[in-house]
Amino acid sequence: MKFVCMKCESFMAFQKVENPAEQSLGVSFACPTCGAKVAMVTNAGETAMVQALGVKIGGRDTAAAPMELIRENLKEADGVLPPAIQATTQQEMLKEEMAKVAPAAGQTLPAGSCPFSSMVAKMGIAAPAGAQALEWTKEAKERIEKVPSFMRPMIEMGVENYARKNGITTISPEVMDASKNDMGEIVWSKAAESRLDNIPSFIRPMARKEIERIAKEKGMTEITDALMEETKSKFIGMGY
Amino acid sequence: MAEEKTLKEILKKIQFSDNAQVMKQLVDQSIQVKVRMGHIRRKIVVMSGKGGVGKSTTTANLALAFARAGHKVGVLDVDLNGPCIPKMLGVSGAFEIRPDGAIPPIGPYGIKVASMDFFLTEKNTPVRWKGAMELSPIWLGMFEMNVIREFLADILWGDLDYLIADLPPGASADKPPVIAGFLPELDGAIVVSTPSEVAKIVVRKSIVYARDIGIRMLGLVENMSGALCPSCQAPVPLFTEGGEGGATPAGCEDIARDLDLPLLGKIPFDVQIARACDRGIPLPLSHPTTALFDGMVTQIECSLNKKGAFVS
Repeated sequence: MKFVCMKCESFMAFQKVENPAEQSLGVSFACPTCGAKVAMVTNAGETAMVQALGVKIGGRDTAAAPMELIRENLKEADGVLPPAIQATTQQEMLKEEMAKVAPAAGQTLPAGSCPFSSMVAKMGIAAPAGAQALEWTKEAKERIEKVPSFMRPMIEMGVENYARKNGITTISPEVMDASKNDMGEIVWSKAAESRLDNIPSFIRPMARKEIERIAKEKGMTEITDALMEETKSKFIGMGY
Repeated sequence: MAEEKTLKEILKKIQFSDNAQVMKQLVDQSIQVKVRMGHIRRKIVVMSGKGGVGKSTTTANLALAFARAGHKVGVLDVDLNGPCIPKMLGVSGAFEIRPDGAIPPIGPYGIKVASMDFFLTEKNTPVRWKGAMELSPIWLGMFEMNVIREFLADILWGDLDYLIADLPPGASADKPPVIAGFLPELDGAIVVSTPSEVAKIVVRKSIVYARDIGIRMLGLVENMSGALCPSCQAPVPLFTEGGEGGATPAGCEDIARDLDLPLLGKIPFDVQIARACDRGIPLPLSHPTTALFDGMVTQIECSLNKKGAFVS
């Protein structure tokens, strides 16, 4: 904001700033030619605006101290504890609903019952009750170990479901490949897998997904060495 | 009318000198930010339109991953009213105030951390401002803007490779443009979302808004991508899409595709991750999520260095 002396046609010069009242600044200007004076008095809101800018009207004699704005304006804890939380209608309703789904006092949930069992069953990824234990070959176990741990149970269940459906009792890498086809998934040739192994391990899962996405776009069901060569440019510099 | 003309004519003739020195101080403040930020090679923000999606968790783990990769890292906790980065990184203490700046506390792998939390004396203490702010909170936004300026300008960050700012929740409003305004050389933003439809709706808006104000999007992180049942270890998607008969696991691929940004990774909901953040102890190096964040860092670096990356 600037003040103009209309009589002398000149800007008025800053004189001083003072605190005429609480939460108020008084900023005085004077015309350098005729000496006419004017004072601007700020209200609390306008004072807050100046304070929020972190500036001192009239300039500083010394530079601002580090983090001066925060340290000068942060209110100290006043030692008053927050009021106790009062029970609300919503909290009472929630208690009633929880009581309906929780077992009655003295009862326990059936052993092995899973809080997600109904959802898992709907999605068809749970093993049926009393299912026969299947044997995994050493090569199949090594292959499943390469899958990220949080995905492993899902993949294992999918393979085992396929095996049971087809009367297979021993799971080998070939069974794992066949189960992927059954789920509409893409198969990797040995040569393609070998090239994928050249990509750093922490990138490999993402690279696998990206290559499979490209294959699906092309309508391919198998990832070949030729496709890997074609997509090479995406991963140059990663040892692939 | 005549007076207006006269005023206009007067203003054309006379020159203003800033002897109240308000403009000079504002310019000096901006210069100080630029000088301090000039020692930092890359500045990134982590944002989301939605609260509770895991921005701070992502920020903390990205900082650890960058530091593990050998970089000098600083973390700025811009969530002034809900600071939690110090807790997640296991950092406590206070700024050491010197005439030339404030030395921040140091966390794991030498990560420098700046947060309002270091000014709060007890865990129940909220951030409250005294003086004129108490009477006129309408200027609070401008005040907080200058608090962020002080974090940028007054902290002795030193020479850093990466400064990562954890923004508070909010689709638009103030914090992204404030940061963008102070850091015209901001290298980009990482956006965090969960697969929830509600979250994705809001996150989309925040991405569009950030791009509108010139913030480059470096990628999207999908958090809470799934969970392992604590009883039978079956993987269970936390969010699904589709009707009763054909529910399928939901994801953030649609945002990545529609808004053309890389999906950097999918972080599962894992009790170990939550425990690590609550205790302020980094995840073990052998944990699969550690590798996920390491992978994200590689992608982000590739994107920043324009070496080609997983851009769909």
